[in-house]
Amino acid sequence: MSCENPSVDKDALMARRPKFDKTKQCVKCKERTGNVVIRHAVYCKSCFFPLISTRFRKSLEPSVNPTPDGPRRKALKASGSLLVGLSGGLGSTVMLDLVAKTYFGAPSVADLGEEAPPSKPKGGKEHPRNMTGKDSEIWRGVPAVCYVEVCGAFPGAEDRTERVRQVVESYATTSPPFAFDFIPLRLEDAFDLEWWKGVGELLFTPPPSSTPILALQAYLSSLPTQTAIHSATQTLVRLLLLYTAASRRASHVLLGTSLTSLSVNLISGIAQGAGFSVAEEAMEEWRGEGKSGELTPPIRIVRPLRDVGMKECAIWAWWCGLRIVGRERYLGGTQGIGSLTRNFITGLERDYPATVSTIARTCAKLTPKEGSDGVCLLCQRPAQHGVQEWKSRTSIRSYNHASFSSSGHERPPHLANATDRPQHRTEPSPSSHLTPHLCYACHTTLTSRSSRGNVKQTSDSKVVPLPLWVGASLSLVPTSEDSSGEVWATRRMGDGEMKAAIGDLLLNDS
Amino acid sequence: MSTDSNTMFLKIEFGGGLELLFSNQRSHRITIPSTVPADNNTSVTTKDAASPATRPADVTYLLHHLRDHLLKEREELFMENGTVRPGILVLINDTDWELEGEGEYLLKDGDEIVLISTLHGG
Repeated sequence: MSCENPSVDKDALMARRPKFDKTKQCVKCKERTGNVVIRHAVYCKSCFFPLISTRFRKSLEPSVNPTPDGPRRKALKASGSLLVGLSGGLGSTVMLDLVAKTYFGAPSVADLGEEAPPSKPKGGKEHPRNMTGKDSEIWRGVPAVCYVEVCGAFPGAEDRTERVRQVVESYATTSPPFAFDFIPLRLEDAFDLEWWKGVGELLFTPPPSSTPILALQAYLSSLPTQTAIHSATQTLVRLLLLYTAASRRASHVLLGTSLTSLSVNLISGIAQGAGFSVAEEAMEEWRGEGKSGELTPPIRIVRPLRDVGMKECAIWAWWCGLRIVGRERYLGGTQGIGSLTRNFITGLERDYPATVSTIARTCAKLTPKEGSDGVCLLCQRPAQHGVQEWKSRTSIRSYNHASFSSSGHERPPHLANATDRPQHRTEPSPSSHLTPHLCYACHTTLTSRSSRGNVKQTSDSKVVPLPLWVGASLSLVPTSEDSSGEVWATRRMGDGEMKAAIGDLLLNDS
Repeated sequence: MSTDSNTMFLKIEFGGGLELLFSNQRSHRITIPSTVPADNNTSVTTKDAASPATRPADVTYLLHHLRDHLLKEREELFMENGTVRPGILVLINDTDWELEGEGEYLLKDGDEIVLISTLHGG
């Protein structure tokens, strides 16, 4: 490599590497001139559609049957119905299109390329590859498309429900037609008793609140940072979809997270303390409490576009003429972790396209070192063991703590005038403390302040409403006393005391 | 098609929400000069310039032209460092611009350029 100064000597710059390998010919058919470059490989338009469709099926189908049937899958048969999450954004719109075309009789993927579909399907019409959802009945019942409108959280945002409904209903006019059930939800439903009565059981008396939308706004305004608002919104959407899926006895929830979005979610999740649930970000299985209070059958959350980048999604949407409604993307302002990560990954994808898939592949190899300590009540993902104990050792938990006050230190300047934050608790059971039942990421989201980008406190109330599933789960968990009535405490033991406690187990030196 | 050999006629399409920056109009038909200033200045024609350094019109010039004459708002969402912002795809006659030399592709009369945003979520 040259060491000359590129600003003076133009020849000092290294020659720009082309974005594609070798020739402009399609790497698959090796006949036609390519139309698109995907991670350095060139594909023509005819080969592009089956390529994306195959990646989609490869990501989804191994998780359709409750137990994998090995490499030679005989038939796909899910244990419940299907729920597709649609945000109105690019990824989920493309995913809905792929679901409709692959399994529910919309014009097939083979018809999209320039090649005429083969007159006789390869492998025969009974081959699982050639079966559509309609004739193979992979999922039970009518599949549903669920949209969560988030405009209630962000004043001034547009309500896109009707435009999304039109996208879903457009599949009823294709040939052959297929009608999905459209389920429009709103973010404030997480605080709405009427919605909760439809999906869960009311085992507790919720705190009186004026309206769900005010409760939602009070909840979001109690969060300490802009990043936390973004993160909390994502969690609310995810849980609204999951409880709705459980109420429809769904076995699969499909989300349109593309490879690009998955990499953004992984990096920004790790940056916000969600490293323990890295595996769940790509694929997870969830069991909720049903109306009778028992655990529902497991629901698999699958992201079938996790091997398809945002570029491929955009080209699919363009060539298929899909209408992208767009979504309200609140990433916590320009300095929010979500926004910074998305900008970074989008730039990385343009300059070094293969690196983005490396992020997802590397994260797929990660497993937590320690086991799980139950499920977080807020996000309902596995929570790490001993989080609070670890936090208490590594961080300053309270400025009002006696030993801290006596040390004579003052509060940092940005917190000098700060009053105590309202406590997150659920009435009317003040004895139930929420903190031990949260994962590290949710606890951080609710409590971690920042020296910049703090949200202005608008609510005077000391009681902040929580999503209804938190109250429902909190009413079921035991309090600090365990079932035998014992109370556990942790304290430091002296050497002598420790030796006495284990004395019977020690071996003699002789 | 253009009748003047000094200008060329192009069809521009916006997709994926990028049209919102261009008066919410998806399809535009524009005419640009065949020879353009080397510094991508779209306010002067090559005839006006005193000692113009010129070059044939390429996609980079077209991007500057779109920014200066068609873009209605928020320039930072369209261009960055003299090219399109990361996350915006360009198709030249239905082919990825990465196969055509990106900004260095020399435009021809009647070319169809598509700009698609991938930044509208997933």
